[in-house]
Amino acid sequence: MLAVATPGELPPYAGAYQPQTKDERGLWMQSDEEERIVRDSAFVIRDAALNAYLRDVLCRAVGTARCEGVRIHIVRDAAFNANMSPNGFMRVFTGALLRIRDEAELASMLGHEFAHFELRHTLVGFKQERHAHNLAIWAGLLGGGSAIGVQLALIGSTYEFSRAQETEADMLSSRFLEVAGFDRQCAADLWQRIADETDETARGRRQRSQRYDPVGFLATHPTNLTRMRYLAAAAADQPSGRRTGQEAYRAAMKPWRALLLADQLKRNDFAGTEYLLGQLAQDGWTEELLFARGELYRLRRHPRDLVAAARFYTDAIALDPKHAESQRGLGLALLRSGEVERGRLALRRYLELVPAASDAPMLATLLS
Amino acid sequence: MTRSFPRIRTLALPLLLASATAAIAGNTLIVPGQPVAVAKSTLTVVPSREWNKLGARPGRNTESWTLDGAPLNEVTFYGGIENDRTLFREVSKKEKPLPRFAATMLLTDIPALVESSYRIALDTPLMRIAAAEPAELAGNKAIRFRYVFTLPEEEVERQGEAVATIVDGRLYMLSFEAPTIHFYDRDLPSFRALVATARLQ
Repeated sequence: MLAVATPGELPPYAGAYQPQTKDERGLWMQSDEEERIVRDSAFVIRDAALNAYLRDVLCRAVGTARCEGVRIHIVRDAAFNANMSPNGFMRVFTGALLRIRDEAELASMLGHEFAHFELRHTLVGFKQERHAHNLAIWAGLLGGGSAIGVQLALIGSTYEFSRAQETEADMLSSRFLEVAGFDRQCAADLWQRIADETDETARGRRQRSQRYDPVGFLATHPTNLTRMRYLAAAAADQPSGRRTGQEAYRAAMKPWRALLLADQLKRNDFAGTEYLLGQLAQDGWTEELLFARGELYRLRRHPRDLVAAARFYTDAIALDPKHAESQRGLGLALLRSGEVERGRLALRRYLELVPAASDAPMLATLLS
Repeated sequence: MTRSFPRIRTLALPLLLASATAAIAGNTLIVPGQPVAVAKSTLTVVPSREWNKLGARPGRNTESWTLDGAPLNEVTFYGGIENDRTLFREVSKKEKPLPRFAATMLLTDIPALVESSYRIALDTPLMRIAAAEPAELAGNKAIRFRYVFTLPEEEVERQGEAVATIVDGRLYMLSFEAPTIHFYDRDLPSFRALVATARLQ
């Protein structure tokens, strides 16, 4: 599917594209309607600076001419996800922004979604599905013991095709990063971490890891292991010293970190969140991350968790004595552990720091 | 990084959480002036106006009432949630397990339990606790808290008020939810009147 291009160049880009066929016009109409709903949704983050930043990274990754055809909507959802509609409307979940570490990783994800758009994958998938559906109806009408077998085979062929599309999008995205000067190894790193986190979530819920499954019959994506391998191989020959843009990414996300961490903590996923916090703290534990870890342990409520939580809150307070939420968490954790005096002291400090806190009247009852 | 597929969601909590097989016995009229035991428990209230009891229950020890239909105004009774139980039925135990009530919880832990349960069960990050203060429920020390939430693909902002207490290691709670526009302020007094009559036998 990829047009032939010499290394270091991108395949030619047609510019502003308009739907050509009946199928395509129908798909665009549906996508336009979906986009109208998302645009006005309460779940979309409209902050101008954050939106401008994502757009800037996309434009730097795929080039100005290409990014003009795309609108990005940032959706408040703690899961790791992003998706692309055929009319050029992209959704990026806040859960992805929490997990991504630098601009190169963000560029690889945005570039991957853009590649679906450029290669017009939705249309191809749609035609394939309709074709398979028609065949399945015929198979059903003809009856006989083989009908279910035929249907399963056809469903399989539809998903097989999606996997090929995902790989294609990965490879074009890797090409974008190469031309834009971003570190291409990051895409493999990102998938490695997502796979590890998924494993941790499964382990915490006493479920089986799916990472080493052979290519699943109904899997829509290449298995993470396969994906990590080919992405790493694609980046193996890149020159050293490529740009990651870690500082710029951190600065852009700083105002959002606390909100995104709070959304993650409320997902009831202890093991996955513990892994994620560890990854985010690779360059050191900040008061924000220590507080989040304190909350994670306090909310699990094992007696040993309360001891650990108190320690994390204390460390956060050592870094920032005015971290009010840590004082609150410390107070509640200590009260639950039976350390009444120290607990009340911390809660008093919280109420001194935030006298108008929404839960102040309730917490005040714990002080007497 | 998938392309999106439309997801089907139902609106109201009891409708969403009621399983297809549970006794959907139809709705019943609750007549005013008499004590009514609710949520298969020893919790009773004396309604001062007519309410409709919904046949679909959100969970084992719960029951929902409404005036005009669950999406417009809904009262839910939690009649003694036991240790290590979820507030309502889990949508998917495997993919989206709900947090569980613990008999050792403090009253101040209840709003966080409700917030996390709603976020997971209703699949929304737009759920936050707005305020919490001390209160009394059936003669017991209780917590009253307000919250605001929006369901995905519906976009109507709703407010809620709940009063909760823990007696003998069980959670008893009454909650009221309605759209911010018009219904919440109009029907909140009817809910508070119910709460004032709550007794534990």
